[in-house]
Amino acid sequence: MELTFKVNGHPERLELEGHETLLDVLRDDLNLTGTKEGCREGECGACTVLVNGRAVDSCIYAAMAAQDMEIETVEGLATSDGLNSLQNAFAESGGVQCGFCTPGFLMMLTALLDKYPHPDRVQVRDALSGNICRCTGYAQIEEAVERCIRQRTIE
Amino acid sequence: MLERFISVSSEEEALAQLNAHGEELQILAGGTDLMVQLQQSGQRTRRLLHIEKIPGLQKISYNGETGIGALCTHRQIVESTLLAHYRSLRQAAAQVGGWQTQMVGTLGGNICNASPAADTLPPLLVHDARITLVSQARGSRVVDLEKFLLGRRHTDRHHDELVSGITLSQPPERGSDIYIKVGRRSATEVAIVGLAACVALDEHRRLIEDVRLAVCSVGPVPKRLYEIENLIKGQEISDSLLDEAGEMLLELIEPIDDVRASKKYRAMVAPRVLREAITCCAQNASG
Amino acid sequence: MSLLGENLVRTDAVGKLTGEARYTVDYDGKDLLHGSLLRSPVPAGLIKAIDTTVAESLPGVRCVITAKDAPDARAGWVLREQALFARKQVRFEGEVIAAVAADTPEQAREAVAAIILDLAETQAVGDMETALAENAPLVHPEWKSYQPVSGEDYPRHGNIASELMADDDAVDVAFENADLIVEDEFTSNRQYQAYIEPKSAVGIYRDGRYTIHTGHQYPFNVRDRVAQYLDVRPSQVRVIGHSIGGGFGGKLDTGLEPYAAILSKFSGGRPVKIVNNRTEDILTCPSRENAVIKMRSALDKQGNLLGRELICHMDNGAYSGEMAFMPSVIFHLAGSVYKVGNIRVIARLVYTNTAPTGAMRGVSGVYFCAFQERHMDHIADELGVDRREYRLRNLVGNGDTLLSGQVLDDADLLRKGFEKMEEAAPWSQLNDNKKPWHGIGICAGTWITNSMPGSVQLILNEDGTVTVVTAATDNGSGAVSMGITQIVAEHFGLPADDIVVTMPDTDVAAYDGGSQGSRTTHIVGRAAGIAADELKGMIFDVASGMLEAGRDDLELVNGQVGVVGYPDSRISLGDIAMTATWTRGPLSASGSYTTAPVPYNPGCASGMLFPFFPTPTYHVHLAEVEVNPVTGNVRVVRYIVVQEVGRVINPAGVRGQIQGAVAQGIGHALYESLRIRDSRYLERSLEAYRLPLAVDMPEVEIITMEHPHALGPFGAKGVGEPAIILAPATVACAVSDAIGRPFNSIPITPEDVLEAIVGKEKQL
Repeated sequence: MELTFKVNGHPERLELEGHETLLDVLRDDLNLTGTKEGCREGECGACTVLVNGRAVDSCIYAAMAAQDMEIETVEGLATSDGLNSLQNAFAESGGVQCGFCTPGFLMMLTALLDKYPHPDRVQVRDALSGNICRCTGYAQIEEAVERCIRQRTIE
Repeated sequence: MLERFISVSSEEEALAQLNAHGEELQILAGGTDLMVQLQQSGQRTRRLLHIEKIPGLQKISYNGETGIGALCTHRQIVESTLLAHYRSLRQAAAQVGGWQTQMVGTLGGNICNASPAADTLPPLLVHDARITLVSQARGSRVVDLEKFLLGRRHTDRHHDELVSGITLSQPPERGSDIYIKVGRRSATEVAIVGLAACVALDEHRRLIEDVRLAVCSVGPVPKRLYEIENLIKGQEISDSLLDEAGEMLLELIEPIDDVRASKKYRAMVAPRVLREAITCCAQNASG
Repeated sequence: MSLLGENLVRTDAVGKLTGEARYTVDYDGKDLLHGSLLRSPVPAGLIKAIDTTVAESLPGVRCVITAKDAPDARAGWVLREQALFARKQVRFEGEVIAAVAADTPEQAREAVAAIILDLAETQAVGDMETALAENAPLVHPEWKSYQPVSGEDYPRHGNIASELMADDDAVDVAFENADLIVEDEFTSNRQYQAYIEPKSAVGIYRDGRYTIHTGHQYPFNVRDRVAQYLDVRPSQVRVIGHSIGGGFGGKLDTGLEPYAAILSKFSGGRPVKIVNNRTEDILTCPSRENAVIKMRSALDKQGNLLGRELICHMDNGAYSGEMAFMPSVIFHLAGSVYKVGNIRVIARLVYTNTAPTGAMRGVSGVYFCAFQERHMDHIADELGVDRREYRLRNLVGNGDTLLSGQVLDDADLLRKGFEKMEEAAPWSQLNDNKKPWHGIGICAGTWITNSMPGSVQLILNEDGTVTVVTAATDNGSGAVSMGITQIVAEHFGLPADDIVVTMPDTDVAAYDGGSQGSRTTHIVGRAAGIAADELKGMIFDVASGMLEAGRDDLELVNGQVGVVGYPDSRISLGDIAMTATWTRGPLSASGSYTTAPVPYNPGCASGMLFPFFPTPTYHVHLAEVEVNPVTGNVRVVRYIVVQEVGRVINPAGVRGQIQGAVAQGIGHALYESLRIRDSRYLERSLEAYRLPLAVDMPEVEIITMEHPHALGPFGAKGVGEPAIILAPATVACAVSDAIGRPFNSIPITPEDVLEAIVGKEKQL
């Protein structure tokens, strides 16, 4: 079956069998290995990507369901000037340790901030209920969101 | 060769597919549970009917009664102002997995999945939800959710039918509702016990005029607790009444041991949750 | 400007934030094959036959190998007891029986499924009680034939894999003379490291050597273990490190590496990648061991501690790994916080037919502290003395000794920790203002900085930057990407951007003891300092000639060398390097370091003894919890850590270690456990194994006590582990306080709490 969609702005056309997950297609067919697999059951959020702006666990999302849609992955976040404000805030707040969960957090938070540009900490924590970080204990990730919001307000 | 993944963009197309191949098609409406099952069971040959692109089934509406399209996502329900008076449903939807699950998972999918632990089912049951099903051959029919749920992961949907929407009864006057979920963590849990209550008080805000109660995760299928409702209706809330209700609850549920919690804990916590839910609702309704 | 104490961004941040960072699972290549393993479906059994003919004939399959294809060798960290493939006996669910390499992961899995295994299940020894019973079946009937990796054999017999005894007859006298005896039994369950990156490895066999790609905490351990399994010299194995998606002790011993290596050999040298799915990862993880401790204390009328007896049984699982050392952790900790009089310690490591346990952050100390602290609360309650007051009364101080005779030089820091805590959260005020269903706990602990050796080679590049060649690994902690980078930059007055640290490669860098035991910043940082001093000497030699000035008149400031007092005389490190390279040869220097042994009494104990407790650090924690009286759920609403760190190199890094360690500790205390039923884990997925979420975590209030260590790099000591060793203790004490009932089992489940609440309600 043919899947056509856009990934980080690039049109892609792939031949699939039909049951592939979006995660496998991104990693194996498109070599976008920034998106990680942590559990393959929608528990850890490491594989979070955006499908038409919605944050989804790509490990349990049928690739074919993304027909004609726009996919955004961690590889699409940085701009020609370098890291975007959310990525920068993660770096500066110490929101990254081992980094394996990081792409998923970035994509979830991208979706959150797109919809709610000024979430408070309770909303941020709530929105992160589907993302597990084993290293940081979350505080510096939450701080990164606050730093990002401040930065965007200044801009 | 039959395609393994069929995406339809209209209800007619979906019904035609179901009419022709219903028995071998698995409907994909969000799929946050289905895709996990498919991968774990390795059922790579199952054919998926993807219906998310059918227009019109993603709406929450009010035309004398409240209707929720089958493809409304949990997140939509959480954020809908039209559902302001169905707090329990919004609370339940807000506790289905993480946001990723809530953004993709649909109410229709949650209902048809018929998990014993489905969070949205107890609130839907207390709001007397009715399910609208359509088929190409037989037109449409409306079934009470309660009758629609036949057992563990088993519903009354025929292979050629599509669930198109859910309608809720009017919320009672002087009423309040709540969904309480017991889990180990504060979020992203499969319910150990889930309980929804909707309580309305009389004009003097003293006696319980109407009460509806439903539970999940304490039996093969989420269900209403009519016996307890009848016990409480017309009464004033008291410790002894709630004790009696709690004892009665233990007669009505069939808790089991599983990896999430023991039977003993479920039996211990369920009556306490019942008490808490009724008390909270009555308090809210009185103010 | 000094970089010490600055929040420099970790050097690997950009790669990790853009998706560019390459983890082992991301390894790719045109000729890459995929491996899959046949694991034992039963906890104990005898293999009668393995038929691989069908599997071998499947499309895409390159090789199917079993014990008959592997060297007849046993491997192990301490004891050589484990074969690469089970030959006859299987000893835990998940033990590897066969391996397949194929063109695709699906083909490899299908081939594994097609192997016909004739296996007779035998009676499993599922728990320590069964293992220690008379006439219990032996997990290793051939235990006597096993050889230690080095040195003399140590006390072990039957199902006891290692045993340590420190006996003092005075203990019996103390109990005979006691006015009060307080006795407790504690249990704690297994904890899974639950790094978000499941294990993976790539093996390549070429030119008679094995090359392994793996994101691993301890590459040299992989080298040595693969060499043992495949019966080659360690130098025949090269291990190349990748980004590590978390380890927490779970990636200290080999996992998939030797299988990837041997599969490559049998596949004509093509690279073979093996990746665990989450269930495989859980079933075979070297989790924190479950343990049972019986602790009793003898007290006089005034409540003084006269003596203590401590019997600890630790579940080893089917193979020992590094567990054989762990009884000595209990031994050292037993006298490390409180003066408890005469002590008897009996610590036993017990074989069972369950997955081998291993190291997890704060090895063995986490539950030991939980039990010791609960026991102290119990004693204080019996005496009617305030819990904090009772601790202060019995704290060790400067000059006190451990059971080994090792002198604690800086133990007064414990008392200082209590003072700092008091400033942040006055104890009596907290107690007076406690809301219903709230409880508080306060605990103290001592922890080590692991002493294992490390080394660094520094190269001054011709562009003025410095390359750091080391096999030290950054498991995410920032020890390399912040710590070592910042330390080296500081030595040369360079910005961190001018420091390049290599990824670990056992062919390139000298031995390193791995990211374990909070050691990397301290040990490798010190090695870097030694190398830097030597390299600076060379730099001054060269600059002295270039500037025509005496060596002693030179200074190195902001990456430039000049004559003191002559600001215009500066020459850059790049110019110096260039000059050196073409006149005397490139400039490089090496440094190695390991903590020097501390004097101790060799007769202090019998058994496998880790002889000293290196570079101790001192800590005090306080937690406030809120119990939900309806459900029994517990929430930690406030958490304060007072941590002695030596010297803070990077505050954001220190904070990340403390907050992260507390999160894992809270997870262990309240949410996480690998339960065993019929010798198998109940929790087999991340849905069942609940890890703490953002909504479950308080923001930890952190107070660091700086007390620079004479030999630490700029005074730094270990930071990574200490915050976990007290977290379950403090939460358990707080929950016990909230309910007024003892909670002596980790994790504390809502069921335990609700049972206690219901029990109390019934009494009323």
